[in-house]
Amino acid sequence: MTPMPVDPDFSSRIIMLLTTFVLVVQLMMVTQRTLVGNIHLFAVQSLLLCGVAGTIAWVHQATHVYFVLALMLVGKVIALPLFLIKLVRRIKINEELKPMFNSPVGMLLCGGFALLGHVVARPFAGRSPLINSTFGIAIALVLMGLFLMINRRTAINQVLALLCAENGLFLAAISLTTFGMPLVVELGIFFDLFVAVMVLGILVFRIRETFASIDVERLNQLKG
Amino acid sequence: MMLLVALLLVPLIAGLACVVIRSTRWLERVNLLAFLGVAGLAVALAREVLGRGPVKAWNGFLYADALSALVILLTAFVSLACGVYAVGYFRFDRQNLKAGSRQVRRYYALTPLFVFTMLLVTLANNLGVMWVALEGTGLACVLLIAFYNEKTSLEAAWKYIIIGSVGIALALFGTILTYYSAAATSVVPEGMGMNWSWLVTSAEKFDPAAMRLGFVMVLLGYGTKAGLAPMHTWKPDAYAEAPIPAAALLGAGLLNCALYGILRFYVLASKCLGTEFPGQLLLVFGLASMMVAVPFVVVQRNYRRLLAYSSIEHAGIMVTAVGFGGKLGMLGAMLHMVFHATTKPLLFFCAGNIQQHFGTPYSRKVRGAIRAMPLTGGLLILVTLAVTAVPPFGLFQSEFTILAGGFAANHPLLGGLFMICAVAIFAGFLQHIVHLTFGSGGGTPTATICPWKNGAMLALAVGIVVIGFHLPESVFQLVQAAAGVIGGAQ
Repeated sequence: MTPMPVDPDFSSRIIMLLTTFVLVVQLMMVTQRTLVGNIHLFAVQSLLLCGVAGTIAWVHQATHVYFVLALMLVGKVIALPLFLIKLVRRIKINEELKPMFNSPVGMLLCGGFALLGHVVARPFAGRSPLINSTFGIAIALVLMGLFLMINRRTAINQVLALLCAENGLFLAAISLTTFGMPLVVELGIFFDLFVAVMVLGILVFRIRETFASIDVERLNQLKG
Repeated sequence: MMLLVALLLVPLIAGLACVVIRSTRWLERVNLLAFLGVAGLAVALAREVLGRGPVKAWNGFLYADALSALVILLTAFVSLACGVYAVGYFRFDRQNLKAGSRQVRRYYALTPLFVFTMLLVTLANNLGVMWVALEGTGLACVLLIAFYNEKTSLEAAWKYIIIGSVGIALALFGTILTYYSAAATSVVPEGMGMNWSWLVTSAEKFDPAAMRLGFVMVLLGYGTKAGLAPMHTWKPDAYAEAPIPAAALLGAGLLNCALYGILRFYVLASKCLGTEFPGQLLLVFGLASMMVAVPFVVVQRNYRRLLAYSSIEHAGIMVTAVGFGGKLGMLGAMLHMVFHATTKPLLFFCAGNIQQHFGTPYSRKVRGAIRAMPLTGGLLILVTLAVTAVPPFGLFQSEFTILAGGFAANHPLLGGLFMICAVAIFAGFLQHIVHLTFGSGGGTPTATICPWKNGAMLALAVGIVVIGFHLPESVFQLVQAAAGVIGGAQ
């Protein structure tokens, strides 16, 4: 074992603080109405997760987590948000869709998800003090991501919601296994994520051309 | 060794080459050559695995046992059949201005890449890489679903990618939990932590709580990919909107790969938790899928969507078989996979010919298909009987084995339900297809024979009839070995 340069208690407090901020950002996304605002929030959330990864890499002297951190920083904090903002500008969306649930109800539901995440994570709490809070938050993030997907049914919002759920998975991986997954898997996941956003971008563009809208409620011809 | 690497490189290189090739003739040739190569390599791999046991490459990064070899063999077979049929299909589309040359080029570039991702699913030893590859299959084929660029195809593609992504996210969650359940209880050797071949040796010691949650998540996730109810809703849309060769690849190729993912985790879960918990979950999802398919088959007005509900039913049957478990259940599941993958493409191709000739996917607008296209009509009747498990066809034998497995495992009620669903689907299917084929219709011109399309179909039909009577000994050995892999140490 390499000697730990930092007091583990201190680092776990930093991680807890950062993950709490991640949760707060996610809640802000539920109430944020504009698309660009949501994309900015996603970037901030990814940056906070970079902080979590950085702390873990630093404490455990795990070089491969630094690689993951660099990928996160370039990919999720900079490249994907820029791409999405460009897409929003390019297809000139000015319609604002009402969410399915209004803000207070949405907040309340998400509070419920946070609680649910905490309850599901409890059996795993014994292993390390970190797991209890971060894994609970990770589950909550995934659930809230899925909620966002049905709450605002525009194509780009659904893409963002997917990315948020993926952020939750990232947190789950890093909190459950301390070092995250093997580097080749992380690389693969990032590659898939990028291709997925590109493909979704192409589809969003075509949907906009064909339906003159990105409201996915209009995609309703296929039944039975 | 070289075999595994070559299996991945051939379709990958072909796909990348097809991105830059511009002549349609050459695209067709490169595709056909690649699929021929994959088929040859798959046969060689099957021999190797049967002769000498599991094959590894790249320090255990790639791993193929009997289960992988079987799924690879089926994937290679289906992609070759689809490759041959596609030549005729897209030439027809080009002539009738249904598709432009850019679209066709995109098909020929994406299909080998799609096959590459499917092969990577079955060859990856690392469960994380397997996940990456399964996500890759979805990304490779979503633009194939959107091929015709109509409102409905965009809708189908969007539904597919969104539902599929949610599912696949859950599966990643399950994969992480499985990894955790291993890492929490035993010392993971450096760099091997997610390798299935290592996990399976120490699965008894895993943390059961994490494994249980992990298996549920994986079943939901990969179940979405396989189209198990209630996560099946993307399937009818995707199967009906994609061009026929792509739909056949989805229905007979990708389906097996998704089930393969579930089976890998099933082995780990059953070693860690005993067969009861994962088995019961599989039974619930499997029988639900069969029951969901029944009403939709009976009232279906679109024959393309009919195919999708048939695929949901067969996915349900295979999952149910594994849920029944035991030697018979596992053997039945693997046999069913073989017979289903060999029979299904022909059904898709018949539907494709009819749709291209009559220009509609609605059954009521197609009457008397057998007069306008005698060959396709005749084959359609043959393959309908085969797909709905009428003796002597193979699917009857596998369903019978599964049913016997159900009764042997002391599930008489579930066995009865299984039988009722199968019979109801048979009745519904036959009614639609008989109307479509023999119904009295007004003089549609006779279709011309296309050597590519009809050749592929005739070859498949002969194959279906032959393996109905006699499954080659070596294939049966492979099936038995694969059943041994998922049945644990039998």
